[in-house]
Amino acid sequence: MMRSPALAPSFLRTLARWGLALALASLQGLAHSQALQAIPPLSARIIDTTSTLKAEQVQAIEARLRAFEAARGTQIVVLMVPTTAPEDITDFTQRVGDAWKIGRRDIGDGLLVIIAKNDRTLRIAPAKALEGAVPDLAARQVIDRSIAPRFREGDFAGGIDAGLSRLMALIAGEALPEPRGASGTAKSASDWTDALVLLLVAVPVLARRLTGWFGRKLACLVTGLGAGVLTWASGAGLILILLSVPLAVLWGLIATMATWRVHPGRSHGDWANSSGRSGTWSDGGFRSGGGGNFGGGGASGRW
Amino acid sequence: MNLAQSFRAVPIFMLALLSLLLGGCGYNDFQRLDEQTKAAWSEVLNQYQRRADLVPNLVATVKGEASFEQETLTRVVEARARATAIQVTPETLNDPQALQRFQQAQGSLGSALSRLLAVSESYPTLKSNQGFQDLRVQLEGTENRITVARNRYIQAVQQYNTLVRSFPSNLTALALSYPIKPNLSVSNEAQLSQPPAVDFQKK
Repeated sequence: MMRSPALAPSFLRTLARWGLALALASLQGLAHSQALQAIPPLSARIIDTTSTLKAEQVQAIEARLRAFEAARGTQIVVLMVPTTAPEDITDFTQRVGDAWKIGRRDIGDGLLVIIAKNDRTLRIAPAKALEGAVPDLAARQVIDRSIAPRFREGDFAGGIDAGLSRLMALIAGEALPEPRGASGTAKSASDWTDALVLLLVAVPVLARRLTGWFGRKLACLVTGLGAGVLTWASGAGLILILLSVPLAVLWGLIATMATWRVHPGRSHGDWANSSGRSGTWSDGGFRSGGGGNFGGGGASGRW
Repeated sequence: MNLAQSFRAVPIFMLALLSLLLGGCGYNDFQRLDEQTKAAWSEVLNQYQRRADLVPNLVATVKGEASFEQETLTRVVEARARATAIQVTPETLNDPQALQRFQQAQGSLGSALSRLLAVSESYPTLKSNQGFQDLRVQLEGTENRITVARNRYIQAVQQYNTLVRSFPSNLTALALSYPIKPNLSVSNEAQLSQPPAVDFQKK
C-alpha cells in the first residue's frame, strides 16, 4: 500500500520508455519499407508507371508481346519506372524477377526489360533458361545498338520496339519447347480442385447409374476402377492412383446408400461454371507462368 | 495362420509408425533443406568457377597493353591461382575455418579484379578495345551472378539453421546430429567499417 505511489511513476516511466522504443522501432520499420521501391503488380506485359508511352503505343507493344508468347511460349515483360533509388537497377531487377517469376512453369523462359527513366539506366535480365539465348554480351549489344540511341532522342516506344525485335530474334534462335496450347501455363492448384470436384460429383452420379445395371457393390467397384483409370490418365503418381480407387469405391458406397439424391443438373452447372472460369484465365488477363528463375544474368546500360 | 499373419503385420505397422514419427518431427524437412543448401552451394561454386575461367582471357587482353601496371596484373594472376587451388568438398560447408579460407581467397581475387578494372580506366587504348569491353561486361554479369548465388545460399542456410534450432525439430537434430551450418559473411569486415580515405591531391 505504501509502496504503490512510489512504484507507479517508475512503472509509468518504464511503460513510456517501452512505448517510445516501440514507436521508434515502428518508425524505423516504416522508413525502411519506404526506402525500397515497391514492385508494381504484374498486370500486363508492359507496365509504364511513368506515363511516358501513349496508350496506343502501350497497346501495340502489349499485342506484340502477347503474339510472341502465343507463338513461342516465352514471357517477356517490360517495366518502366521513374527511378530505382536507393537500389541500383541490378538489385531492383533481381527483386522484380524474384517476385514475378515470369516464364513457363516447367521451362522458366522469362525475360525482363526494366527501364528507370529518370536514372537514364535500363537492364535486360533473362531468366536462367534464357541465359544461353541472351548472353550478357548480347544483352549489352541490344542496349547499346538498338535501345540507347533511340532513348537518347527521347523515342522510348521506338527504342523498346527495336530492342524487342533484337531480343525476340535471339530467343527465336533457341530451341525451346513449343507452347502447349492456351492453358499450358495455367497448370496449378486450380486443376487439382477441379479434379476433386469432378470426382466428388461424378462418382455418385456414375455409381447410381451403374447400380441399375450391375447392382450396388459391383457398380461401386467399377466406378472406383474408373476413377483409378482417370487419375492414371491425368498423369498422377502411383500412390495417388492406388489411393483414388478405394476412396472412389467408398464414396460411391456412401453416396448410393444415402437417401439424398444428387441433382445432376445442378452439379453439371457447377462444373461448367468452374471450367468457364479457368477458360477466362488463360485467354483473358496476363498471368506469370511462375517458372522463371532469375540468377543475375543480363546486362545494364545507360543512355 | 491367422496369428502368423498378424505377427507378420507387426514390422509393417512399426515401419509405418516410425515413418509417421520421423515425418512428424521434421526428418524429411532436414533432408529437403540439406539438399537445398547443397544445391545453392553448388551454384555459388559454379559462378566462382565462371569468374576464374574469365580471368585468363582478361589477363591476355590486358597484357596487349604494353605499359600496363605489372603489379596489378600479377596480383590478379596470383589471386586466381590461390582461389582455384582451394579444394572445396561438401565437408567445407560444415567447417567454418575452411569456409573462411575459401571466402578469403575468392575475396582477394574479387578485389584484385576490381583494382584491375579501376586501373584500366586510365588507359585510353584499353578502354576503346572492343575485346576488353566485352570481357568487362561478362565479368560484371558474373560478379552479379555470384552475388545472387551467395544470397540464395545464405537464405538456404538460414532456413536450415532455423529448423535445427526451433522446437521440436531441434530434438531430431540432436538425436541424428545435424549441426548448424556456418553461413557466409563478408571477408573484409574490418576494412568495411573504416570510412574510405579520399585523397584528391594529385601526385
